[in-house]
Amino acid sequence: MNTHEQSLSPRTPIMVFGALIFLTLATVLLSGLDVGNTGALIIAMSVASIKAALVLYFFMHLNHEPLIFKLFLGVAFFTLLAIFVLTFSDYSFRVI
Amino acid sequence: MSDTAHPIEHHRDDEGTRLGFWLFLYTELFLFAALFLVYAVYRSAHLEDFKLAAENLNTTIGTINTIILLTSSLTMVLSLDALKKGSVKLAKTLLLVTFALGMAFLVIKGFEWSAKFDHHLFLQTAKGIAAGEGSPLFTPGEEMLPVGQVLFFGLYFIMTGTHALHIIIGATWMLIVFFWMSKGSINQDNHGVLERCGLYWHLVDVIWIFLFPLYYLIA
Repeated sequence: MNTHEQSLSPRTPIMVFGALIFLTLATVLLSGLDVGNTGALIIAMSVASIKAALVLYFFMHLNHEPLIFKLFLGVAFFTLLAIFVLTFSDYSFRVI
Repeated sequence: MSDTAHPIEHHRDDEGTRLGFWLFLYTELFLFAALFLVYAVYRSAHLEDFKLAAENLNTTIGTINTIILLTSSLTMVLSLDALKKGSVKLAKTLLLVTFALGMAFLVIKGFEWSAKFDHHLFLQTAKGIAAGEGSPLFTPGEEMLPVGQVLFFGLYFIMTGTHALHIIIGATWMLIVFFWMSKGSINQDNHGVLERCGLYWHLVDVIWIFLFPLYYLIA
């Protein structure tokens, strides 16, 4: 009934934490680069997405949850994506 | 349906409870998504103003607060793992550390906000706000902030404020869980409440992971 067979060794959480700190420092350093507005936005959001994925997958234990949990996440993600894409398909072509 | 004479079986569906809690977390996510959407639209409309206004935010403080929240997420994970292993004492200690880190985040955020107030940067819905002397935005003769910068600071206070409210809720929840752990009603076998408190805390962390670059880094 319970699919929880995770190891309770602190090794994985600490390694994930190390990666999160590394990515935080990396994104601060990368923000100093002169890559233009869009470039900076893409870099910052990509790093943030990787960090969020690490937290969701390891800290929130999605890695040990059944498929339905991942499907829910997928539905939420694509709903968000649709809202953003549809909004910008409007605002990008407006003459303000 | 007949009245059952059987003794009530306390059936517990941990997985179903977790799934329900994840659904609640998605409603929280969409609450913030609406704010992120407003931010995205106004940023694209007032790019230069947003970049100028963001220079008022201190990247070092933002980075420190990010590291504090990430650390608190780690101690939360370790606290739950400790409880699952049966070491209640360690779990309680780690939960208190998580709580303390949350408080540290709030205190730093408070100092950051009061520094903004000192520079006469407030949440304002008016068309322009006066930039007082001493503010880097102060330009003699032109007393009003451009609309784009008013929008930036409005969103800054609303979004970090909503986030701080979630920190307060999460931290209060931790104290309640701590109390229940002391009483023994949350224990190795029954750790669902601590697990959900942790999920909530990690979500608050995830939201900060996106707030941080949008306000502190892409100036």
